[in-house]
Amino acid sequence: MTQEEALRWIAGLFYETPECLTPDTARADIEAWDSLGTLSLLASLDSDFGIVLPDEEIQDLKKVGDILLILQRNGKLDLEAQVVE
Amino acid sequence: MVKTSGARFAGICTCVPATTFHNLTDTVEFSEQEIRKVTGLAGVDSRRLAGESVCSSDLCAAAAQKLLNRLGWAPDSINALIMVTQTPDYILPSTSCVLHHRLGLDDRCAAFDVGLGCSGYPYGIWLAAMMLQGGMRRVLVLHGETPTRFADRADRSVSLLFGDAGSATALEAAEPGRAADWHFALHTDGSAYGAMIIESGGFRNRFSEDARRYCVQMDGARIFNFTIKRVPALIEETLCGAGITVDEVDYFIFHQSNQFIMKHVCTKQGLPLDKVPIILKEFGNTGGASIPLTFTEGGLKRPADRALRLLLLGYGVGLSWGSALVELDPKAILESMELDHAKEKL
Repeated sequence: MTQEEALRWIAGLFYETPECLTPDTARADIEAWDSLGTLSLLASLDSDFGIVLPDEEIQDLKKVGDILLILQRNGKLDLEAQVVE
Repeated sequence: MVKTSGARFAGICTCVPATTFHNLTDTVEFSEQEIRKVTGLAGVDSRRLAGESVCSSDLCAAAAQKLLNRLGWAPDSINALIMVTQTPDYILPSTSCVLHHRLGLDDRCAAFDVGLGCSGYPYGIWLAAMMLQGGMRRVLVLHGETPTRFADRADRSVSLLFGDAGSATALEAAEPGRAADWHFALHTDGSAYGAMIIESGGFRNRFSEDARRYCVQMDGARIFNFTIKRVPALIEETLCGAGITVDEVDYFIFHQSNQFIMKHVCTKQGLPLDKVPIILKEFGNTGGASIPLTFTEGGLKRPADRALRLLLLGYGVGLSWGSALVELDPKAILESMELDHAKEKL
């Protein structure tokens, strides 16, 4: 998955438009990323990618880039890849 | 995995308070939008509230009395009473002793409490099955919780979720060779004990000026993460240990934690939703008592000619989790009732 695709996936989770999100977008700036949004994120990481986070990593989720990092660390995001139109 | 033999359910009776609290119309702490968001996810429309004068023991005593009457069991025929609860009447004595008295049981009856919450029912059934295997004839497992009494009404992560319930389960030694073996898997991860905790009121922090310290604090994300990690593995372990498949189980009776979590686990494990009764809409999360409550309120279809094979799944506070693969034969009684504390003299 490319970064653009990953941002689209994250935007879908939080009812945002992908163009509004960058790796630096903070959790506090995403209205739907509240405690329930975190549950939705954890569920989607599991169901869409088979990723279940260690507890300590949940506390570290503070911006969009943290989610991208998790996807990358688990081999689901290739920062070098380009979207094929 | 452990296995027991020679136990059967004689009956289960559950009791909920008569007072119904409708989340959308009765909640004053949150906006309608907030309520809809939380209840939509959790699947809880209404809940039963015990109020300040009703304890778990009251709900369990009412359920037990009705069940004993239905079964025609004499009080002196019961060898043991196990009370599973995290909302006891007192710090001491054990609530089981209070209930022993209220039910008029014999002084040859063992009685003790088990201080487990959401995982408590499989543990209680396992203990009873072991005791029956060891020579006892009749055991009562009472499991009741009044979590609405320790929920901070201003904390939306818990206040819209919890309901109160009590239950009584009567188990007895089966005729030799007439009952299937039961299988249990029991687990603990104490490192995360703080993920769901009431900090004050016990002897670690006896008193607090902050009333919230007497209410439950729950790290919802951590509990969710625990569930999606542990419960699927628990299901696999139990089925594998018993040598059966999902198709060979009639119902998966989950602790009714939260609809979102339960459905996620079902999807992950490929459990057909018609095999997973959900009663959250009407009763909310009633702690570990939600498992027996699902027996009586979950609309189980019971064939007249064979026992139902049920996989019971308890998980939560502790963190503690456990399963029980059991059979419910057609003769076992399932009953439910309400307790109107305004009318009852407790």
